Amino acid sequence: MLESSELSTMFNDAGMWAALIAACVGTYFWRGFGVYFSGKINQDSELFKWLSAVTYAMVAALTVRIILLPVGLLATVPISVRLGVSIVALIIMYSKPGERMIPALLVGTFGLVLYGLVMNFLG
Amino acid sequence: MSLNRDIVLKGVKDAFGAPAAILFAGMLGFGAMGQANGLDIWLTSATSFFMFALPGQVVLVEMLVLSASGVTIAIAVTLTATRFFTMCLTLFPQFPEKQRSSFYYLVVHFVAMTAWAVSMRDFPKMKPEDRLSYFTGFAFVCWAVSTPATVLGYMVAGQVPSYINLGLVFINPLFFLLTFTEVKPRGNRIAILLGAPLGLLSYLWFPDYSLLIAGLFGGTIAYMVDKYFRNRQHA
Repeated sequence: MLESSELSTMFNDAGMWAALIAACVGTYFWRGFGVYFSGKINQDSELFKWLSAVTYAMVAALTVRIILLPVGLLATVPISVRLGVSIVALIIMYSKPGERMIPALLVGTFGLVLYGLVMNFLG
Repeated sequence: MSLNRDIVLKGVKDAFGAPAAILFAGMLGFGAMGQANGLDIWLTSATSFFMFALPGQVVLVEMLVLSASGVTIAIAVTLTATRFFTMCLTLFPQFPEKQRSSFYYLVVHFVAMTAWAVSMRDFPKMKPEDRLSYFTGFAFVCWAVSTPATVLGYMVAGQVPSYINLGLVFINPLFFLLTFTEVKPRGNRIAILLGAPLGLLSYLWFPDYSLLIAGLFGGTIAYMVDKYFRNRQHA
């Protein structure tokens, strides 16, 4: 016989896998759905232009939300630091359009690591 | 389906620079997150293999930890994945219609923000018949590095100081933010400028639907503004 705690762990595991499978199916559903309908869309059409704008608005919303209203580890960093580091990276990016992706990324990432290091040292 | 081997390899080669490194870092961070939240290594890495959508994976882990119900979790993750619908609707029409085949339903699993953003930027400079081969090589690499990175991140999680993890979880959103500066079409630029604040505002009231709200309102207004200026130029 299993202890009740073991039973609940087993159920929990099964529940987690069920949630994972459902979430993966839901995610693939949108991808497959997109492929299915993509045959009806001409890339020079007005519909394509509208869909592009909607997609960019969505991914911009997601990206900025992750940076400014994060959950988990990033939420332990003050918003002023996240915002400041992002702005510095953007300025580097704009300083020479098309050629500064790597430096901008490195400066931004190391900026955050540096903040963590300093906090580690002080705390 | 007939892929051009040389073009596929060019996509592979291009992916094995910054894009794969950035994705690898992000997935390392995600693996560490799974470990820190007490999930098992199989479940954590299965999300990278089968879902391959970092924001959705993060939502999944967070809700599992909060012991949300399976149905609630599935709905929340599926809603953050809505973007894939319009991402595919704007990506696949750029391949020549004669290349359309059931292969699309396989390669679509490799569609995520990195490969999509790079394709939207570079496809206009590419011959239409080369695009599918290039995308297949590029996007496959992005997907293929993700699961090993997740496993590695999970295994080394205990030994990695939290300030390194900070950098790992920040590099992906920062990369997407920076790619927005390279977007050329005016309508899409306006959409980014409108979508960002709309997403933040709607997230405060309707977190599950904030992306949909930002996308539909921000995107539609941006499209109409762009159309207005296009009509004026022609008039």
